[in-house]
Amino acid sequence: MIDIRDVVIQYGRGERAVLAVDDISLHVEPGASLALIGPSGCGKTTLLFAVAGLIHPCEGEIEIGGESVTGPRSEIALILQNAGLLPWKTVWQNANLSLSLGKEYPAKTAASVLEELGLAGVKPRFPTELSEGMKRRVGIARALSMSPSVMLMDEPLASLDTLTKERIQDLFLQLWLQRRFAQVLVTHDIEEAAFLGQRIAVLTERPARVKAVVENPGVGDLSYRETEAFVGIVARLREALEEEQG
Amino acid sequence: MNRMRRVGRAVREGPVIWHVARYVAAIAILLLAWWVASEIVEAVKGRAFLPNPIRAISEMTRLGPTLFRNFWTSAWRLVMAMLIAFGLGYPLGLLIGHERKLDQLISPMIYIIYPIPQVAFILILFLIFGLGNAVKVAIVATALFFQILVSARGAARQIELEHITSVLAAGASRWQVYWHVVLPATLPSILTSLRVSVGLGMAFLYIAETTGAFDPRRGGLGSFIDSNIYAGAQAFAGIMAMALLGLSLYILIEVLERVVCRWKHVSRRGS
Repeated sequence: MIDIRDVVIQYGRGERAVLAVDDISLHVEPGASLALIGPSGCGKTTLLFAVAGLIHPCEGEIEIGGESVTGPRSEIALILQNAGLLPWKTVWQNANLSLSLGKEYPAKTAASVLEELGLAGVKPRFPTELSEGMKRRVGIARALSMSPSVMLMDEPLASLDTLTKERIQDLFLQLWLQRRFAQVLVTHDIEEAAFLGQRIAVLTERPARVKAVVENPGVGDLSYRETEAFVGIVARLREALEEEQG
Repeated sequence: MNRMRRVGRAVREGPVIWHVARYVAAIAILLLAWWVASEIVEAVKGRAFLPNPIRAISEMTRLGPTLFRNFWTSAWRLVMAMLIAFGLGYPLGLLIGHERKLDQLISPMIYIIYPIPQVAFILILFLIFGLGNAVKVAIVATALFFQILVSARGAARQIELEHITSVLAAGASRWQVYWHVVLPATLPSILTSLRVSVGLGMAFLYIAETTGAFDPRRGGLGSFIDSNIYAGAQAFAGIMAMALLGLSLYILIEVLERVVCRWKHVSRRGS
């Protein structure tokens, strides 16, 4: 489904050039989930934006469904940090953004998604009137309204309190299990990566390279957090990150 | 929790009646201060150089139709100039603020011209537009154009990258980025700039209406005040009409801002 092959991404030119991603190859099967974890500023968001078609790699190639990614596509949804909501648009307008831009998305409408996420009552509200947790849900609704086959998430739960974060992680898991989109999650939260990523790629400090790939077959159960397998995965990830950060 | 409530209350707007009451109170205080000042000037100088507000208001009533005609002439000129400056300065400012290459090309020229006092262009504008209404509108529009242009450029450069990324990822074209992000994100700053430009516009309108002594179509409040400059109470009737014009425009822009930037006026969640 998602094929990232020998991707190199560099910002700037000449002496000021900064290498952000260095020769990364990863693969995500349809309906599978990959988490990218690494130190802050290592280049994981850059790689995600390249998969979303917002940045073009200098070398290598990214394919989704066998087609090279040359720009944003209707089947790829991206959830940003802080949900990326537009403050001047209501909840309804934000959730319906992709559809209002006139692209041909599948018929699943924002209205039914808002209903499903328990946001139907706040449709006329503006984002500033919502709690942080609700804002993130609106961000999810916007992504789901596109009925994507690929869901990309850039630290979608950063700066949330623990309980709200866990509730939304549960929601992510349920939505993924129901809809089975291919999912790539960028996070610096070890437990989040262990709860949502079937495979977890640990990236190095900038420039990002794949340091290790941890298989996490237990993902898919809401009670996974309480298992020994989960604790074991968290410990392995922590060890890999601590090695990386010295 | 109590703190959150306080934060919520602090940012919530009061009802319109309070807004009106504040303006009424401000007018009352200013009239009182004016009356006290005129009494002091008369006591010190022995003559009423500064007419008191009651005399000025009674002059306003007496000169009603003349003053009203001049008020509309000035209002029309100022509003036209603001519309022209806004219509040209806003889109250009957004373009150069948002398009890096255009900014590099045009901004140096603007920053060379911007600090030149626009009064210096008056003669040239008279030569280009001749006498009449057009030159007066052009003088005010030239002054406001740079103000709005520079504000729009600054506002466009402050847009959060996350908002642009968000619509680009949703498949927006370049013009859809302008429509869905650049335009709404910059509107509050531009309306603030427009509010500031009312004062600047009034000053330039006065200059425009009092320049060109042989202009057959002088008219306007500036010309009215200038012609009655030695007839204290009449001149102050004109000054009050000018203040009324400024206040009306402030209120108009405020109402406009509440309509087009409704999201700025909703109560914020405390957490």
